[in-house]
Amino acid sequence: MNAPADSKEARELALAGMGQSRLRKEDARFIQGKGNYVDDIKMAGMLHMDIVRAPIAHGRIKSINKEAALAMPGVHAVLTADDLKPLKLHWMPTLAGDVAAVLADEKVHFQMQEVAIVIADDRYIAADAVEAVEVEYEELPVVMDPYDALAPDAPVLREDLAGKTEGAHGKREHHNHIFTWDAGDKAAADAAFDAAPVKVSQHMYYPRVHPCPLETCGCVASFDPVRGELTTYLTSQAPHVVRTVVSMLSGIAESKVRIVSPDIGGGFGNKVGIYPGYVCAIVASIVLGRPVKWVEDRIENISTTAFARDYHMDGELAATADGKILGLRVNVVADHGAFDACADPTKFPAGLFHICSGSYDVPAAHCSVKGVYTNKAPGGVAYRCSFRVTEAVYLIERMVDVLAQKLGMDKAEIREKNFIKKEQFPYTSAFGFEYDSGDYHTALKKVLDAVDYPALRAEQAAKRADPNSPTLMGIGLVTFTEIVGAGPSKMCDILGVGMFDSCEIRIHPTGSAIARMGTITQGQGHQTTYAQIIATELGIPSEVIQVEEGDTSTAPYGLGTYGSRSTPVAGAAIAMAARKIHAKARKIAAHMLEVNENDLDWEIDRFKVKGDDSKFKTMAEVAWQAYHQPPEGMEPGLEAVHYYDPPNFTYPFGIYLCVVDIDRATGETKVRRFYALDDCGTRINPMIIDGQIHGGLTEGFAVAMGQQMPFDAQGNLLGNTLMDYFLPTAVETPQWETDFTVTPSPHHPIGAKGVAESPHVGSIPTFTSAVVDAFSHVGVTHLDMPHTSFRLWKALKEHKLAL
Amino acid sequence: MEVKLEKQYPLAVDSARAWALLADLEATAGCMPGAAITEKVSETSYKGGVKVKVGPATAQFAGLVDVLEVNAAERKVVMRGKGADKGGSSASMDLTAVITDDPNNPQACVLNGTAEVIVNGKFAQFGGRMMVQVSEMILGQFVGNFQTAAQALAPVGGGAAAAASGAAPAAAPAQAAAPAVGKELDGLAIVWALIKGWFSGLFGKKA
Repeated sequence: MNAPADSKEARELALAGMGQSRLRKEDARFIQGKGNYVDDIKMAGMLHMDIVRAPIAHGRIKSINKEAALAMPGVHAVLTADDLKPLKLHWMPTLAGDVAAVLADEKVHFQMQEVAIVIADDRYIAADAVEAVEVEYEELPVVMDPYDALAPDAPVLREDLAGKTEGAHGKREHHNHIFTWDAGDKAAADAAFDAAPVKVSQHMYYPRVHPCPLETCGCVASFDPVRGELTTYLTSQAPHVVRTVVSMLSGIAESKVRIVSPDIGGGFGNKVGIYPGYVCAIVASIVLGRPVKWVEDRIENISTTAFARDYHMDGELAATADGKILGLRVNVVADHGAFDACADPTKFPAGLFHICSGSYDVPAAHCSVKGVYTNKAPGGVAYRCSFRVTEAVYLIERMVDVLAQKLGMDKAEIREKNFIKKEQFPYTSAFGFEYDSGDYHTALKKVLDAVDYPALRAEQAAKRADPNSPTLMGIGLVTFTEIVGAGPSKMCDILGVGMFDSCEIRIHPTGSAIARMGTITQGQGHQTTYAQIIATELGIPSEVIQVEEGDTSTAPYGLGTYGSRSTPVAGAAIAMAARKIHAKARKIAAHMLEVNENDLDWEIDRFKVKGDDSKFKTMAEVAWQAYHQPPEGMEPGLEAVHYYDPPNFTYPFGIYLCVVDIDRATGETKVRRFYALDDCGTRINPMIIDGQIHGGLTEGFAVAMGQQMPFDAQGNLLGNTLMDYFLPTAVETPQWETDFTVTPSPHHPIGAKGVAESPHVGSIPTFTSAVVDAFSHVGVTHLDMPHTSFRLWKALKEHKLAL
Repeated sequence: MEVKLEKQYPLAVDSARAWALLADLEATAGCMPGAAITEKVSETSYKGGVKVKVGPATAQFAGLVDVLEVNAAERKVVMRGKGADKGGSSASMDLTAVITDDPNNPQACVLNGTAEVIVNGKFAQFGGRMMVQVSEMILGQFVGNFQTAAQALAPVGGGAAAAASGAAPAAAPAQAAAPAVGKELDGLAIVWALIKGWFSGLFGKKA
């Protein structure tokens, strides 16, 4: 039975466990067009929904006439807020403690707000019928700027909140004010500023952008009136949370609600929230007793479902004359749109923005974020980042550059001087976060050496000295720390549910396995990487480990995938569940080998008797035994469930350097070089990490160089198609160079920290840093994004640098 | 989306006839490509519509036109139009039109137009950056039609002299003289005209 063992290397390779660049298991179906997305789902008797939307940004609904639409052949129903009122579903709670209109109730608050829905035999009839619904509006003054919104005589946007002086996050000071949220120690920060010899300040606007996943949002709701069961296929990054909310809103027992997230074509935060379209499709299915499909189009996606950012930030740094940071103060006015529907942990209305002291040892810090209503669509999601961390990293990295410029110091030098040192970890920041691990100095040196930083600076100086140089050269440097893996349930919850995550593993009698998870992949490659963790933990080849996610009827409860939480939280749950199985397997192996448990060693895929390589049992043999003849008194079977509540967040970091050449005649920017070093702790699949970093850098490039949601004074969104909204293709995307260091997380079972969002968070300020650097010799300290050719051409003209 | 236009169009017609046409709202509306007055609600208020066609998509704006001021002495008309399309666009326009004499030529005059156009919804979203050019195109067509229609009117009294005395508009129904303009505004024709205009601009010719 005990055949001669293969070499360790061969067995390791056969497992395809952690550390191997295993090819993505998902790709076989995706590249053959065999994925199964929401819009691929067709059910017998299925009807189609389309939405009547407001053409104006603020107005009172005077009348809605459905007659013409209802008279059209193939139209089954037209529903408005008045129809949802008896069900109390015309408004719904948001994740941020506010309410949002499902269908506009007497008033519209933003352009393209949902006003009525049409249910018809097919998508075309539904779209035609939408045009036949006549809605009469009385226009009201529009407020697009959050500073204007706070003027004493500003129009009242949320009449439904009249007289409500207490919001979900404390006192409301003004009719368009949502919350003011503070973190850090104001007195200490003020004292640091009072005593400091050097102070800098900078205003910056982080524009409203949209995650714009390739697949838009949608669902197919199917209520079975006979069984009283509701099944909904839905593009959700958090299907279990959706199930809980749907049960709470509909009154259907949670056991009779099944939410399935099928294949998802990218989420990036856009698919965390619960949208009016989902609620309406579910209501329509219950009312009509037939499946109802709703899939938004691109314009609806960009215009109405979950934007990101829109932060007006004022940063201040206090420092010594030689560049040691003494204090940080930040004030933010956050434009949340018409309803506060930010997807943040309940206690944090500005997410984890207070990570804004960054990678630096800042002794005193304070930040204050003011949330404001305007006539824009609600949202405020974490677009490929942990909650508001992109904004925080942008703020601190810009500020450190501004300080360096004021002091005439080099960007790299000032960072080195202020870094949290390796020996200071675990490090508690002035905002109270405990950074788990890091080695910033080593990583920075690696990057500066790799690009020959002094040579780049010399080249830049030569170009600046040449009045005829056709380009301006800029060097951007960012040394960021992320905070991901939300999160410890003592701090983080969503609607009261702690932000743990879960895994259930079953080992089958013949040694293959299935793992079911509370998360849901949207391109991250969970089916590949999760299996690799199990392979390493349990010695089962990853090829025979199935990973299932997204079906709430089979998967254990989890909070979903966003904020880089899959590996830090669910990845830990996998390791812990596997270790429960491992402990039982050891007992079985000891029984089979007739030795004491302590006399066994674990090696790759087998338990072996200490000192005798010929006596061993593989995990496959143990699995058979577990079902065939377990030791007396032991429960048969080999499976485990684990709910992992992380003790802390994880803190991945990175050092990014970018060189740009800006054409002095046209303002066109060429990214000559982008060097990205990431440290995400233990690396599970280097190939997938590289892919994630390429994707994140590309999205960061999109945000920094072109993405924006421009509104006119009347509240029209002027860039809601892909004709205007910048999604870079292979043509525009620069070449990326990646590198890494490994500083494992000490509190995570496998030391992994999460990686997919770091490149987005870190690259955006790197591009800005590079672009501003190109102008720094003429005293420019900051330029707002997006850095389009037109805007840079204007800057060139303004600073007399244009050719 | 707000666009402000201030334009002067020289007309090859005397100011009296031009004013006679301008003061007749229904006739003037008839000169607007794709526009028509459908109902007179009161002395100063009309219902009307504009039909715009861009390829296969047709938008029909229906709305109200209110005449806020008709000043014969100054030959000035002020009106406000507001309309909406079922497909999710709405528009409003405040328009002031004044006829002034051409000091050098009694057989010519100048139509001075000031318009503030606000467009909301799909038209603003998709057509935003073409708004100024398209508006100018449409106004250009309008002025052409207006001139033809005014020239077709019977001369008013002694031409400039009569106009100066503030004569009432000619009795002749301007509508009858209005040129046969297309029932709808063809977006493709506009685009073509814009491209031609852009090219001529590019090569330094007068568009």
